[in-house]
Amino acid sequence: MKLYLSTAPHIRSGANTQVLMRDVLIALLPTTAAGIYYFGLSAAMVIAVSILSCVLFEYLWQRITKQPIRIYDLSAAVTGLILGLNLPSTAAWWMPVVGALFAIVITKQLFGGIGDNFLNPALLARAVLLASWPARMTGATAYALPTCWSGADAVTSATPLAGYEANTMDLFLGNIPGSIGEVCKAAILLGLIYLLVRRVISWRIPVTFLAVFAALSALVGQNVLNELLMGGVLFGAVFMATDYTTSPMNPRGQFIYAALCGVLVCVIRNFGAYPEGVTYAILIGNIVTPLIDKYDKPRLYGRLKKQKKEGTANA
Amino acid sequence: MPKYSFKGGVHPMHGQHEGKMPTRNIPIRDFVSDTVCIPMGMHLGAPSKPCVNKGDLVKIGQVIGEPVGGLGLPVHASVSGEVTAVEERQHLGAAPVMCVVIRNDFADEWVESIKGYGNVETVDPAVVIPAVKAAGICGMGGASFPTHVKLSVPEGKTCDTIILNGAECETFLTADFRLMIEHSGKIVDGLRAVMRALNVKRGVIAIEDNKPEAIEAMRKAASGREGVEIAVMRTKYPQGGEKQLIKAVTGREVPSGKLPIEVHTIVMNVGTAAAVADAVIDGRPLIDRITTVTGCVQHPANLRLRIGTIIADVIGECGGFSEEPGKIVFGGGMTGLCVPDTDVPMTKANNGIVVYNVKDARSVDESPCIRCGRCVEACPIGLDPYRIKHYCDRGDLASAKEHHVMDCILCGCCSYNCPARRWLTASFKNTKDAIALEARRKK
Amino acid sequence: MPKKEKSLSSVFMNGIIAENPTLRLVLGTCPTIASTTSAVNAVGMGAAATFVLVGSNVVISLLRNIIPDKVRIPAFIAVICTFVTIVQMFMQAFLHDLYESLGVFIPLIVVNCIILARAEAFASKNGVLASAVDGVGMGCGFTLAITCIAIIRELLGNGTIFGLNVFGADYEPMLLMILAPGGFMVFGGVLAISNLVTQHFEKKKKDEKGVIHA
Repeated sequence: MKLYLSTAPHIRSGANTQVLMRDVLIALLPTTAAGIYYFGLSAAMVIAVSILSCVLFEYLWQRITKQPIRIYDLSAAVTGLILGLNLPSTAAWWMPVVGALFAIVITKQLFGGIGDNFLNPALLARAVLLASWPARMTGATAYALPTCWSGADAVTSATPLAGYEANTMDLFLGNIPGSIGEVCKAAILLGLIYLLVRRVISWRIPVTFLAVFAALSALVGQNVLNELLMGGVLFGAVFMATDYTTSPMNPRGQFIYAALCGVLVCVIRNFGAYPEGVTYAILIGNIVTPLIDKYDKPRLYGRLKKQKKEGTANA
Repeated sequence: MPKYSFKGGVHPMHGQHEGKMPTRNIPIRDFVSDTVCIPMGMHLGAPSKPCVNKGDLVKIGQVIGEPVGGLGLPVHASVSGEVTAVEERQHLGAAPVMCVVIRNDFADEWVESIKGYGNVETVDPAVVIPAVKAAGICGMGGASFPTHVKLSVPEGKTCDTIILNGAECETFLTADFRLMIEHSGKIVDGLRAVMRALNVKRGVIAIEDNKPEAIEAMRKAASGREGVEIAVMRTKYPQGGEKQLIKAVTGREVPSGKLPIEVHTIVMNVGTAAAVADAVIDGRPLIDRITTVTGCVQHPANLRLRIGTIIADVIGECGGFSEEPGKIVFGGGMTGLCVPDTDVPMTKANNGIVVYNVKDARSVDESPCIRCGRCVEACPIGLDPYRIKHYCDRGDLASAKEHHVMDCILCGCCSYNCPARRWLTASFKNTKDAIALEARRKK
Repeated sequence: MPKKEKSLSSVFMNGIIAENPTLRLVLGTCPTIASTTSAVNAVGMGAAATFVLVGSNVVISLLRNIIPDKVRIPAFIAVICTFVTIVQMFMQAFLHDLYESLGVFIPLIVVNCIILARAEAFASKNGVLASAVDGVGMGCGFTLAITCIAIIRELLGNGTIFGLNVFGADYEPMLLMILAPGGFMVFGGVLAISNLVTQHFEKKKKDEKGVIHA
């Protein structure tokens, strides 16, 4: 009889990296389905190419640098799906490929692989694509109108942020032009509920992000509901700002980080040169994260500045 | 009734009633084997010196190991019979331990010198601590700190609260639970003896709210006893950790690197209290204890085992293995110690024997940290486990120390929660040992 | 500090390979990022910097025993400024397009670390001929390195090399590469590759030596 020897603990919780990533993929399913429903087959193509190229780049890099192959932890697939959802459905086939190269190789693997990237890979890829081909990403011809109602695939338009008129219900359900994943707010909320129920993420980042953003939007005199439903703020707050690796570890730090993101989105939207600022807001938040983690420590047990000598015992 | 709790922590095996179901409702029964192997080093402190030779006849309760040093404790024969060997044997640690092996003659003859002091409410308070020392009692919750040392309040310090730890937050174990139900009076007696010895007015028995039967039994036993109260704790691991318990019950925090007496508190296990009652009332030394035997055995049980019983015999008593065993652990799932083989004897501090099957025993490979923050959330002390682990992996002891690795209580919450399956607790233990070793070398 | 007995050819090669200012010493990164948006710009910047380098190295080497140690940096800067002004006026007169596209980065050659570093580390301690050769070597090393970076950036960001269309009309240029972030990315990439190559050769050299001595 051979007995294993190990140090405690001898039991582990059920969660592991793969399960967590799978839960994120499941949470993104409604959004993906809504995107494909509204924008048709071209959206499905963009998403598929994005996921495939992300996983392929991860595999190739780990193969070339002789690392253990970790594509089964599904993190590359999550990056791919989020990247795909961040693109307009009119994106050329090579755009997700270039995006995947920047996301997986440059942002993630060059900095040490999973857990060591300092920026959200999908977001950086979006920023690169945005800077490289602005017309294809957000220009007047970038966003297709949802095909199911307009009936014509070729109709394109600017986003609601750039002046497109839409009623609140359309904004909520996603019957508006925009990136594949950001249009249908109902689906995003479904995903959020799933993530919260499965305890994949905590409520702190998305709720703080949106609350601070809404409060500030009200302060500058915007229609709060419309501001929340337009553009990618909801998608960003739920799926991108909550990325484990690039958000702070401690609860208090998460509040600071999320509030910073919320403020930046509002500032960029109202006072900046771009109509939409979610991408840059979260990227700046990512960059600040190590700083927050460095200075925001959880309070240590037994290290009170002054022990309450008599405490509750005499009370 | 407010429920006491603390910050952080985890709910291990929550869906399976903390793994306690198989033994929860099984009454304690006695088991005496025909040979015992009593290790001399069962407590924290220098191992005792054997004072019997091969061939000697010993009676139950006879001193067979004399205390050595300030933290020393006597060791008593747990069965009567002939000493068949006094030799070094393999135990839990790497180094072999001096053991006295006794063949049981089943005469159950007690040594004559045993003398009790009677009722704890009338006993002279000055005799309690010497009686505890003479009985060889050490903490029975796992840390095995000599109880008489714990009860000796140092010069200039005061104690106003004694907490009995009946939380039993560890997975699988029900020994304290059964003890609280079946011997609740004895526990309260032990608590009263200690309270009178130290002239303490407040005694709290802390029990997690997943043990309503124990709470009920202890309430009954405590009613009418001076200064004894029951505190109901929320079920969460490590509720029974000394520091967490003190924080939850009194609201005080033990300063880093200090003992609980610093905040006028002493924490004892309920099992220890029962042993104290035996020692004071009957003068009975610590020769047996209640242990949960569970996991892959045919008939999981709570057994009253003589100290020194070989675990192979214990498992035989429980009907043998039900599956091929992969790992045998002394203690619960979160903090237990692995045993190298089944020839290892029971000690005073061992509250459980848990057998894992091969599938559960296999250790898991580490994968890279994904910075999810679950370790930070779980840490009951408020450490940054992910960051300390990073320094531990690089062998950077100074940085690890700077990030308070020495405050770690090795509860295992971070490792339990980690989705990347990192061996956080293990490397903190190694690092703490390395830092302690370095400090000793410098001296 | 290079030794006196070093041959002129080794001084020259030193600037191109062993102590390449851009890729080994990582000096002058500001003009590296700013002037590599196109290959023509890079060559122009390289030539201008080389001229200033050679000129200042020669003059400082000549004056090296006269300049008081305590005020040597202002003195060096004065010399460098002179040559930069000459280059600037020359370019304004004869290479106006290049002058326009390099803009403020021509006067900024004054504060190019490479030039001051060579004045301090080499010209003020060596003879005129060696200093001149060092200037040429360093200048060529700088020019080669930034031209490399510029070719990559221009190719990706504009689809051309030295203005010649390479990818055809269907290519949609990747604007990011012309912008500053692209500059940093390509610079980092080229640095990484050059380190990789150097390491490879050093390892090979070591292995060969090991074989001989064994």
